[in-house]
Amino acid sequence: MSVQMEDNQLLKQATSPKTRGLLRVIILALIAGAAVSSRLFSVIRFESIIHEFDPWFNFRATKYLVQHGFYSFWDWFDDRTWHPLGRVTGGTLYPGLMVTSGVIYHLLRALALPVDIRNICVLLAPAFSGLTALATYLLTSEMVTSPSAGLLAAAFMGIAPGYISRSVAGSYDNEAIAIFLLVFTFYLWIKAVKLGSVFYGALTALFYGYMVSAWGGYVFITNLLPLHAFVLICMGRYSPRLYVSYTSWYALGTLASMQIPFVGFLPIRSSEHMSALGVFGLLQLVAFVDYVRAQIPNKQFQTLLRALVLLVFVVAFGGLVLLTVTGVIAPWTGRFYSLWDTGYAKIHIPIIASVSEHQPTAWPAFFFDLNMLIWLFPAGVYMCFKRLTDEQVFVVIYAVLASYFAGVMVRLMLTLTPIVCVASAMAFSQILDTYLDARKPKVPAKEEEGADVAKVAAAAVLPEGLRSTRGPVIGIYSYASKLTVVGASLVYLLLFVMHCTWVTSNAYSSPSVVLASRLPDGSQHIIDDYREAYQWLRQNTPNDAKIMSWWDYGYQIGGMADRPTLVDNNTWNNTHIATVGKAMSSREEVSYPIMRQHEVDYVLVVFGGLLGYSGDDINKFLWMVRIAEGIWPDEVKERDFFTARGEYRVDDEATPTMKNSLMYKMSYYNYNKLFPAGQAQDRVRQARLPAQGPELSTIEEAFTSENWIIRIYKVKDLDNFGRDHQSATAFDKGTKKKRGSARRKGPKTLRVE
Amino acid sequence: MRSITFLASCIAAVSSFAAAELNISQPLLSRQVLPSSFKPPQVFKNANLVRTTMLEKGYARDVINVVIENIDSKPQSEYYVPFETSLLAKVGCFEVRDKKALEKDPFRVEVVAFDEESSTEFYKIHLPVPLEPNQQQVLRISYSVLSSLIPVPAEIGQNEKQYLQYTFSAYVPSAYATEKQKTNVKFPSGDVPDYTKLPTELNSENKPDPQKQGSTFSYGPYENIPAGAEEFVSVRYEFTKPVTHVTQLERDLEVSHWGGNLATEERYWLENRGAHLKGQFSRVEWQKSAYMNPPTAALKALGFPLHSGAVDPYFTDDIGNVSTSRFRPGKKESALELKPRYPIFGGWKYSFRVGWNADLSTYLRKLSTGDSYILRVPFLEGPRQPEGIEYARVQLRVILPEGATNVRYSTSIPLIESSTSMHRTFMDTLGRTSLTLTAINVVDDFRDRGLIVTYDYPWTASFRKPIVITVGMLAIFAATWLIGSIDTSIGKKKAA
Repeated sequence: MSVQMEDNQLLKQATSPKTRGLLRVIILALIAGAAVSSRLFSVIRFESIIHEFDPWFNFRATKYLVQHGFYSFWDWFDDRTWHPLGRVTGGTLYPGLMVTSGVIYHLLRALALPVDIRNICVLLAPAFSGLTALATYLLTSEMVTSPSAGLLAAAFMGIAPGYISRSVAGSYDNEAIAIFLLVFTFYLWIKAVKLGSVFYGALTALFYGYMVSAWGGYVFITNLLPLHAFVLICMGRYSPRLYVSYTSWYALGTLASMQIPFVGFLPIRSSEHMSALGVFGLLQLVAFVDYVRAQIPNKQFQTLLRALVLLVFVVAFGGLVLLTVTGVIAPWTGRFYSLWDTGYAKIHIPIIASVSEHQPTAWPAFFFDLNMLIWLFPAGVYMCFKRLTDEQVFVVIYAVLASYFAGVMVRLMLTLTPIVCVASAMAFSQILDTYLDARKPKVPAKEEEGADVAKVAAAAVLPEGLRSTRGPVIGIYSYASKLTVVGASLVYLLLFVMHCTWVTSNAYSSPSVVLASRLPDGSQHIIDDYREAYQWLRQNTPNDAKIMSWWDYGYQIGGMADRPTLVDNNTWNNTHIATVGKAMSSREEVSYPIMRQHEVDYVLVVFGGLLGYSGDDINKFLWMVRIAEGIWPDEVKERDFFTARGEYRVDDEATPTMKNSLMYKMSYYNYNKLFPAGQAQDRVRQARLPAQGPELSTIEEAFTSENWIIRIYKVKDLDNFGRDHQSATAFDKGTKKKRGSARRKGPKTLRVE
Repeated sequence: MRSITFLASCIAAVSSFAAAELNISQPLLSRQVLPSSFKPPQVFKNANLVRTTMLEKGYARDVINVVIENIDSKPQSEYYVPFETSLLAKVGCFEVRDKKALEKDPFRVEVVAFDEESSTEFYKIHLPVPLEPNQQQVLRISYSVLSSLIPVPAEIGQNEKQYLQYTFSAYVPSAYATEKQKTNVKFPSGDVPDYTKLPTELNSENKPDPQKQGSTFSYGPYENIPAGAEEFVSVRYEFTKPVTHVTQLERDLEVSHWGGNLATEERYWLENRGAHLKGQFSRVEWQKSAYMNPPTAALKALGFPLHSGAVDPYFTDDIGNVSTSRFRPGKKESALELKPRYPIFGGWKYSFRVGWNADLSTYLRKLSTGDSYILRVPFLEGPRQPEGIEYARVQLRVILPEGATNVRYSTSIPLIESSTSMHRTFMDTLGRTSLTLTAINVVDDFRDRGLIVTYDYPWTASFRKPIVITVGMLAIFAATWLIGSIDTSIGKKKAA
C-alpha cells in the first residue's frame, strides 16, 4: 500500500528478517506437526493397522521388497494372485511407494533403529503430509509476495479433509506420497519457469520421475505442464525461460518416466502423453521462429513463418491422429474416456463404474471435503487473473482442470485440494493483510469519511489495482471495521479447523477392516470379524488353498490370510472377474464345474444381514451379475434377478434365479436356524426371509465369523461313488430318490478315471 | 580423585567397545553315546516300586517312587532308567529326587544314547552319594510324556464328548529286576469306557486287574518282574477339554537399567491336539451352545496369571491386535485373559504373541560387591489352564543391557542348549548381551520354576548410549558444516 507509514523503530527491530525467518520455520514445523497428528485418530482409537483394500497389497509388496531385495521385487511374478494366471507384479505396479518405505526401513536399520516395517507403512502417509504442507508453502510463496499466504496455504493443506481422506495413518496407498510429489513438482516447475533455469528444470524432471514411479495420476502433470506452456505461448508470452525449463523437463522427465517397467514406452506411444510431445515440438518451432525473427526484421517473412508454424502444427496433429487410427499410438484408455463422459463407464466398463470412488462427485462432497475453502477458492483464482503473471496463469489452468475432474470422479478431489488451498490462501491472506494492518496514514485524510462504500470495498480487494483507485488516502482505517472483518475471518478459520477435525475423526479414520460400535454402557466394542476369518484361513487351511471371493477382498486375503486368490483389486483381467461373477450368480450345478476348473478350495462371502452391515456381498451382487453378463450375456441376465415389478428382493418373493444363485445360498445358508421358525430377518435389507432356508450340496460351510460378516465355504471334492452332489446330499439326508429317474439315466457305466 | 576414577572407567568403557568379554558358566547337557551292546550293569534291584500315572491334564505325567538296593559288592552311583527311542523324544521334565529329602536339589541326570540301531535309550541318574552294598535308597522319579494321548474316535461332532487313549506298559520299564510293583492311573473322571484287562494270573494277589476306585485305576501289584519286561495296556477315557500343545514358545525378557523395566514378550505357536471336527464348523451350533456353556474340546480362552505389577499388556497375532482380551490388575497377581479370534477346535492352530512390562526392581538386585547384578525371573509364565498345556520347545532369551559381561545362570529346568550372543536393536553400537536357553518337552507344572542370572554391568557402560548419540550428532553437524562450506559453483569466481 502506498500510504505513508509511521516508522516504528521498536517494532521494526522486533521483526527483523532473521526473526521472521525463524518464526516462519517454527510455524511451518507446527503446521507439519498438526498435519501429522490430525491423521493419527485411527492409530489412537484402534491400533497401528493397514486400512481398507489397496493398502494391503502395497503392504504385502513392501514386505516382499524388504525381504527379497530390490531386484527380485523388480522381477516379482506373483503366483498367489489371479490363480491360475498369476500376475507380473513387479512390472505392473508403481514401485515408488514401496521403494520409499524400503529405503526408510533400511536407513533406520543402518542408524540402529530397527522399526517394524508395518509401522513405517502405517505412518508414511502422515509423515509425507507434513512434507506436503511444506511444499504447498513453497508453491504459494512463488505465487504471491506475501509470505503469510504461503503459511496459510500450508496450514490449509495440512488439515484439509480432501487430502486427509487419502492420507490418514494406515492408508498406505500411492496417494500417500504422490500428493507431496505433485505439489513439489509444480513448485519446481514454477521456479524453473520463473528463473529459466536448467537446474530447476532438471529437478522438476527428477521429481516428475519419482511421481511417475509412485502414482498413475502422474498423467495429470504430464498434461498440465504442456498446457501451461501452450497457454503461455498462445498468450504471446514465449520466452527463452519457458523454452529452457520446458525442454529440460520434458527430455529428462520422459526418460525418467520410461525407467518404470509399468510405464515403459507409454510416453511415446499413448495418447495421454501426446500433448507433452506436441508442445515440445511446438516449442522448438516457436523458438526457431523467434530466433529467425530476431535475425531478419522482415514483416512479410514473419507472416510466412507464422503460416509455416501453423502448417507444421496441423501436419503434426494430423500425423498424430493417423498414427492413433493405425494403432501405432494407443488410443485413450477406457478409464480416460470415463473422465469425459460419466456415463461411459457404466455402459462399457462396469468394473470401473462399480467402484464407489469412481462415481461422480455429489455437490455436498465439495463442502464436506473443503469447507470454507470452496468459496474462497474462486476469489483466489480471480485474484490471479488480476495480475496474471506466468505462474498465476498456472494457478488458473490448474484450478479449471482440477475442478472439472473433481466433479467427474470423487477420487480426483485429491488433485483439486492443493490448488484450492493455494488459491484460498491467496484470497484469505489478502483479506488479512488488508485488515490486520494497524498502520495509519501519516496525514489523516479528510476524505476518509466521504469515501463511498464501493471505493472502500474496491480498495479492500484491489490494493494495487486500477490506477483510478490508487490514491494516497484510500483505505480502511477504522478499527471497528477492521476488527469486524478480522473477527469474522477468525471465526471462519476456527470453524474450518473444527470442521476438519470433525470430518477426519468421524469420516476418514476408520480402518474399515475393524468396525467399531458402542455398547449400551458407552464403551467401545470392536467388531473384528474380518480378521477373525482371515486369521482362521491363515492358520487352518493349507498354504496353497485357493480362495474365491469377490475381487474387493482379494488384496485383504492376500495380505491378511496369505492365501492365493482368484481375483483381486488389481482388476487387470475383466474376464477372470466375470468368471467369478458368473460362479457367484449361477446355480450350483453351473458354479461347481467353474470352481473345480479353477481349483477353488474355499469360497468367501461377506454377509451383513445379522449385524446390519450394509457393505456386504448381496448389496454388491448386482455388479457381479452385470460384469458376468458383459461376458456371458446368454447365461447371466440381470433382469432375472429382479422381480416382475422390478424390485431387488431377498425374501419370499425373490426370483427363482436369485434364490438359486450361489451367492444367495451362501449368504443365507443356515441363517434361519438362528431365529425362531419363520422369523429370520435380514437387517440390512429389512426383509423377512423365507421359512425354508437354502440348501447346499456342492459346498459346505467351513467357517462363519462371530457376527456372521464373513462366511467361508469349502468346495466339496468329487463324490466317492461318482454321484452328482445333489443326489449324494439327498441320499445322506435319507430322502428317497424316485426309481424312475435313476433308470432314465441309461445303463451304468464303469468309471475309468 | 573422583575425576580420575571416572576417567579410568571411561577408558575401560571405550576399550570394551572393541571387545566385550562373555562367559558361559555352565556346561551343556551332555549326551553320551555307547555301543549298542551296552547293558546297564545289574548292580541294583528295585525292592519296591509304585508308579502313579496322572492323566487329568492334556498330557501324561508319571511319578515313580522306587526303593533301590545295591546288590553289588561295591558302592554304586549310576542308576539307569530305560526308554524306547521313540518315547524318549517325548519325555520331558525328567527329575529325580531323594524321596526322603524332596526339598533338596534334584540329582544330576543325563541321556545316554546308543548308536542308531538300538531301540532303547537310558537316562543315567548320578546318585550324589554312592550307595553302599546292600543299602537301600528311595528315589522319586518324575517325568511327563508329551504328545502321547490319541483321540479315539479321531473325529467328533462339535458338541460331542472327546475320548483320549493312552498306551503304556503295565510293568514299569526298568533296567533292573523289580521285586514288587504297582501302577496307579488317575483319570479326570470315572468315564473310562475301554481299558485293557489283564489276566488275573499275572497279579500277585490274584485279583481282577485293574482295580477300580472312583476315577483311579490300579494295575498290579506284580512280583519279581525281570529287567526289561513289558506288558502293554491301553486305556480310553473321557477328556472333553482341549489338548493344548505349544509347538514352539519364544520368550524374551529384556532388562533395561535406564528405564527400570523388565519387558516380557512371548510368542506362541499352539495347536489343539484333540479330536478333529466331524464335518465342518457350524457357527449356529456354537452360538446355541454358548448359552449353556457345556464342556467342549475347543480351546476358548487362555488365562495368564501375571505377577502383580505387570502393566501395558498386549495381545497380537500376525495381522494385528486381538481385541478380545481382558486385563485385571490385582494385588496378588494380575489376570490377563485372552480369547483367541476363534475357538480352537481339534487340529486347528493359532499363533500369537503377548507381552507386558514390569518394574525391574522386583526382579533385579545389585550385589554388594562390585558391579554385579542378580536377576531372578520365572522360567515359564505361560497360561494356567485346568486342562494343562504342554510345550514341545521353549526358547527363553534374556536380553541384558549393552555392555553386560560375565553372564552366569542357574535353573532347575533341564535344558538342552544355552548360548550367549549379541542382540542388536534400538540405538546399539555393540549389541546387547543376550542369553538364550532352550528346553524341550516342558509342561505347565513347571511354570513356577525360576531362573537366576547374574552378570557384571559397570556403571560406565550405561553411559555408552548417550555418548554415542552425542558424538553422532556432533559428527553430523560437523559434516553438514564442512559440506556447506565447499564451493561447488562452476564458472568464474566473483571478485570479493
